[in-house]
Amino acid sequence: MSDTIVLSLRQAPDHALLADCIAPDRFAALTAKEIASLGVFHGGRAARLGDFFKVTGERSSNVRLEGDLGRVQGIGTGTTGGDMLIDGSSGRDLGVAMAGGRIEVRGSTGDNVGGARPGATKGMTGGEIVIRGSAGDDAGVRMRRGLLVILGNGGRGTGRAMIAGTIVLFGKTGSGAGRFLKRGTIVALEAMERPATYRYACTYRPPHVAVLLRYLRARSGVPVSDRHITGRYERYSGDLAELGKGEILQWAGE
Amino acid sequence: MKINGVAIDDTFAEAFTMRVARIVITGRNPKWAREAAVKMTGFATSVIGCKCEAGIERELPAAETPDGRPGVSVLFLTMDKESLPQQLVVRLGQTVLTCPTTACFDGLPSVPDRLAVGKALRVFGDGFQASKVIGGKRYWRIPVMEGEFLIEETFGMQKGVGGGNFLILAEDADHGLEAAEAAVEAMTNQPGVILPFPGGVVRSGSKVGSKRYKSMIATTNDAFSPTLRAVTATQVPEGVNSVLEIVLDGTDGPCIEAAMRLGIRAACRPGVRAISAGNYGGKLGPHHFHLRKILA
Repeated sequence: MSDTIVLSLRQAPDHALLADCIAPDRFAALTAKEIASLGVFHGGRAARLGDFFKVTGERSSNVRLEGDLGRVQGIGTGTTGGDMLIDGSSGRDLGVAMAGGRIEVRGSTGDNVGGARPGATKGMTGGEIVIRGSAGDDAGVRMRRGLLVILGNGGRGTGRAMIAGTIVLFGKTGSGAGRFLKRGTIVALEAMERPATYRYACTYRPPHVAVLLRYLRARSGVPVSDRHITGRYERYSGDLAELGKGEILQWAGE
Repeated sequence: MKINGVAIDDTFAEAFTMRVARIVITGRNPKWAREAAVKMTGFATSVIGCKCEAGIERELPAAETPDGRPGVSVLFLTMDKESLPQQLVVRLGQTVLTCPTTACFDGLPSVPDRLAVGKALRVFGDGFQASKVIGGKRYWRIPVMEGEFLIEETFGMQKGVGGGNFLILAEDADHGLEAAEAAVEAMTNQPGVILPFPGGVVRSGSKVGSKRYKSMIATTNDAFSPTLRAVTATQVPEGVNSVLEIVLDGTDGPCIEAAMRLGIRAACRPGVRAISAGNYGGKLGPHHFHLRKILA
């Protein structure tokens, strides 16, 4: 058993590499050899994880990925526990259908982070994803529970059709964010474009936001400023075209 | 044994096992956190009449609270597992939920025995309440006219100790009160301990039952009442004209002992003849705090 399993990209993929086998809870019971022999798809062709990654360590639910993983898709799919650090960027479908554990990305990610598998009604149902860069489109789509933090910018459709859970957006976001949201919270620290089907409720200091932001600062070292912790937020209820039990909390100053 | 010329009786305080929860109340500023804590711990001196015992453990700086605001830590005790959540739901609902700017957090997060207090209070939200899971803990957001009340879903419950005590036997009431105040000041903010009585001091220590009234579960401690010295089996020594009691509840025995050590030493001052303690012969409570052993 090792403290951490390290996957170092030794050969950059020429095409999209579907590596949805990479999940810390799955690695917890596997040797380095077994991890390396897990199946992936490279440009639609079957291959092994070890064809692209050097695997160091075994039987641990702490995983670290190194290299430019911009073409690697589906990392952390269905993760239920453990801790994974991606020391760079990631391709699309990171943490799809995740149910627990924690994924941190030092760089940016592709589309559909924490979202749903094709045709599925629910996206991530638990756990935490922290993206220090920006996220592609449709981050947190149909998210049911859990926490998604984007320190950079979000793409179009961030939090679209959320069922519950929390998204914290430090940067800007594209159009359609929060559309068709049933429940759940989007905390926006920068001005964000809201769907017309949200209605202003009040400006106040939501107590759980202070707890949440302090937690992120302590747990993940997220650089949260005090003015966001103690500040006032505009509450917009929505999506009123849906259940209307969700909210966008837009930071409104100290 | 003597401390500053004050005799330490060779006796022990007898205390009971209770159930305890630690409640962290935060507010916009220390005033509002304290307002809620004072209300919550009001009329909570003794399980004999109040069904619970509670007190402020200490004030918390902003850096020590989950939401980064000033707070107050309260210890809340009852005699059994069943009544603790019942009392907490009623008290928190009427005193903390109602108090402007407050939020309420569990102060015993690692304790496995959980009380669904916030879960019970959430229904005040009439269906408009919402929950958030942060760091593995579920919080309830209850909409109120002021804004929103935040409370953790569950609170930890563990075994605690109630009824630690010592008696200050003084030459007169003034010296007794001065000594009691000094003891309380020395014990204030001690972790894991509260002094549930007014100002931390009891003037009406009790004995179990009654010599005359069958319905009474507790009556005056006549053995330590100076006015009855001539007519009872008195334990009031010559030259003592006033006796005050300090009662301590806490999360465990070592916390009580540490506080008693500080309090007794502070109470040993001019005008005090002796320090004693209340017990029932060791037959009722499993926790025995021997004064001389604590102070050795």
